[in-house]
Amino acid sequence: MFFTSQEFQTVAAALNSGFLKTLQLFFITLVGAIPLGLVISFGSMSRFAPLRWLTRTVVWVIRGTPLVLQIIALFYVPGMKDLFTWPSGETGRMTAVCVAFVFNYACYFSEIYRGGIQGVPVGQQEAGLVLGMTKSQIFFKVTLLQMVKRIVPPMSNEIITLVKDTSLARVIALQEVIWMGESFMKGNQGYSGLVWPLFFTAVYYLVFSGVVTVLLGRLEKKLEFFR
Amino acid sequence: MKKKRLAASVLALSVCFSLAACAGGGAATPAPESTPPAGTAPVETEYSDLAYVQDKGTLVVGITNFSPMDYKAEGSDEWIGFDADMAKAFAEHLGVAVEFQEITWDYKVMELDSKTIDAVWNGMTLNDEVMAAMSTSVPYCTNYQTLIYPADKAADFEGLTSLEGLNVAVESGSAGEDAAEALGAATVPVQSQANTLMEVSAGTSDAAVIDVLMAADMTGEGTSYADLTYSLNLNDTQGLGSEEYGVGFRKGSDLVDAFNEFWAAAVADGTVETTAATYGLQDAVILE
Repeated sequence: MFFTSQEFQTVAAALNSGFLKTLQLFFITLVGAIPLGLVISFGSMSRFAPLRWLTRTVVWVIRGTPLVLQIIALFYVPGMKDLFTWPSGETGRMTAVCVAFVFNYACYFSEIYRGGIQGVPVGQQEAGLVLGMTKSQIFFKVTLLQMVKRIVPPMSNEIITLVKDTSLARVIALQEVIWMGESFMKGNQGYSGLVWPLFFTAVYYLVFSGVVTVLLGRLEKKLEFFR
Repeated sequence: MKKKRLAASVLALSVCFSLAACAGGGAATPAPESTPPAGTAPVETEYSDLAYVQDKGTLVVGITNFSPMDYKAEGSDEWIGFDADMAKAFAEHLGVAVEFQEITWDYKVMELDSKTIDAVWNGMTLNDEVMAAMSTSVPYCTNYQTLIYPADKAADFEGLTSLEGLNVAVESGSAGEDAAEALGAATVPVQSQANTLMEVSAGTSDAAVIDVLMAADMTGEGTSYADLTYSLNLNDTQGLGSEEYGVGFRKGSDLVDAFNEFWAAAVADGTVETTAATYGLQDAVILE
């Protein structure tokens, strides 16, 4: 039986360890980018023009260049320019990749937030004012709450994309699941010339994005009472 | 209105600060270990890479998983192989710990320059590009490029002296790419030597050019490429000598001298020969 063979066990163990890194990157990115995106969206909606333009320029640069290029630049340039050196080993690579992912996704999220916030009808804020609420009360209790509901579908899109984008991290040799799958093509732990592990990684992505889809679907349902 | 504007500005400013703090935090931890040359220049007359490595206490060796040079045995987590074993001995000679770091081959020079690794020690062929971008050691092993093709079409490939009219998969930037181009092939550059085999296997390329040491390891029975085979010494075909493997260090690094000294001693006392024999490289290793 193939699934009990030594070959499958070895490969599965390697892919599992790779997928743990994928998950780590995925969750760190979400935890970092979701709040940072909100802060960036405030910057791009600011009434203070220089700040608004600065933020929008940063968002343009980050959204306008490939993430893979940002990872390479962030990891190699500091050392080449003697600014600082990333810690050696896996830690340094993971840190650099996380910083790149958090910032990149925060910029995409910020635009989704901006759409969500600006999509809440002005009448809602006016109603808040009439009721004597303060600006911050209106923002947190009226605008933000309705924005959350509006942004779930576009955010789901980005989050599913993030599941697969994590594979870009292997450009600086972060050993995530695709890297591990590829490693058996040229040889790893006594097995070489195996192609199936690479394609088998699809199972991991499919299962995980399936779980994420179900969870986000539930969240959307939970927020339906606003309608 | 004013309040809102203020709040937004404060929030946005706090982003700037937290980002700056992030960058600063990242810099603060490794900075003491990686004294930049600019800082040390006034004190010492010259920047010493050897001193840098000894100071931080680890030699970070950049590798790819490449049997029989650097690889892990089944069920083990330790890097072994001819290059890995000699790297351990070299680190011991320097009095530092060794750390193996898998890298993406295309970025080996950037890895060195950004100090994320200290040496490239992975069966690296000493070609012009490599020698221009790094300071390299004395050659320690020989190798040649060979042609991989489907076994059932062997008759079409045996004894070829030119690759004209063939689509040949090669690793981007490898010695195999040079050989294929010199012999008139239309090259298909891919990410790794392993990927070239997938090209041939899938029929998207007619043949591939890779190192003979790797070809022996990756094709034939017991691999996914049982239907691929190889022959032809493409170095002979081009009228070139064999290639030589060397170790790469940062441009201008004094680790090169330390390595050459260490290597001469290791050849003299037989360490190189016994280690090579362990991995079946006794015919390929250079013992002079």
